[in-house]
Amino acid sequence: MSPLKPWPAFSLFLTLALSASLNAQSTPPDLSDPEVANVAVTANNIDIDLAKLAESRSGNKDVKRFATTMIADHGAVNAKASALAAKLGVTPKDNAVSQSLQKGATEARAAIEPLKGKAFDKAYIDREVGYHQAVLDAVDNLLIPTTENAELKKLLVDVRPAFAAHLALAKKIQSGLPAGK
Amino acid sequence: MVLAGGAGAARQEAIAPKRHIVEMSGMGFHPDTLELRRGDTVVWINRDIVSHTATAKTKAAWTTGTLAQGQSGSYVARRKGEDPYFCQLHPTMLGRLFVR
Repeated sequence: MSPLKPWPAFSLFLTLALSASLNAQSTPPDLSDPEVANVAVTANNIDIDLAKLAESRSGNKDVKRFATTMIADHGAVNAKASALAAKLGVTPKDNAVSQSLQKGATEARAAIEPLKGKAFDKAYIDREVGYHQAVLDAVDNLLIPTTENAELKKLLVDVRPAFAAHLALAKKIQSGLPAGK
Repeated sequence: MVLAGGAGAARQEAIAPKRHIVEMSGMGFHPDTLELRRGDTVVWINRDIVSHTATAKTKAAWTTGTLAQGQSGSYVARRKGEDPYFCQLHPTMLGRLFVR
């Protein structure tokens, strides 16, 4: 097994994913393993939190079901990522990227939360399409090719199809939603 | 009609119910198409990190229920014909049974 790098690619991936979807940052910071672990957990938790809002708020059965699946799937990925971090001896640590992620999520939620009905559904699904597309692009073009640690690479390869399925499902729901007002 | 012992045994063996394995991995069913006989059992095993179901698309509903990673569920094919199914949690995951 190859040694664990300081996960610079993972930092870059997360930063680019964030910049694409949340206009957060453009320069990848040099994160330590504990900081990257915190970013990974934060990124999953953010999607889970927004999904919980959509699950309780939406009246659209497809949107509601999608939100329920996001809670379950990102929770499962989070559990795997946390278990791997623990196995590798990494204790998650708060950092600037996690804080930026959280700030972007708070802003996105503030924009979506006041909306109701079809406008809420559209805003939520639009964000999910953008978020999952950005993550997939980064996983394909940066993260998987540049990650050397075998276990980390395997985790990324294993979760990649789930992200793709989420994106396909979000797009399918998006195409069936009327323009919300 | 009286069958010779050897032929009867061969026929018995030919129609004995079989067990078919379908893996849920990479957000798909593998194999996604399966030909089987009535009375055969299909066992789905979830190899993905996320949970899945195998659930009939027809009204004569059957489902494995939610299967977490490493769990399995089964269904005994009782009805002849085409029996499409999907994952309720990820509706883009599709499979198909052809029951003879």
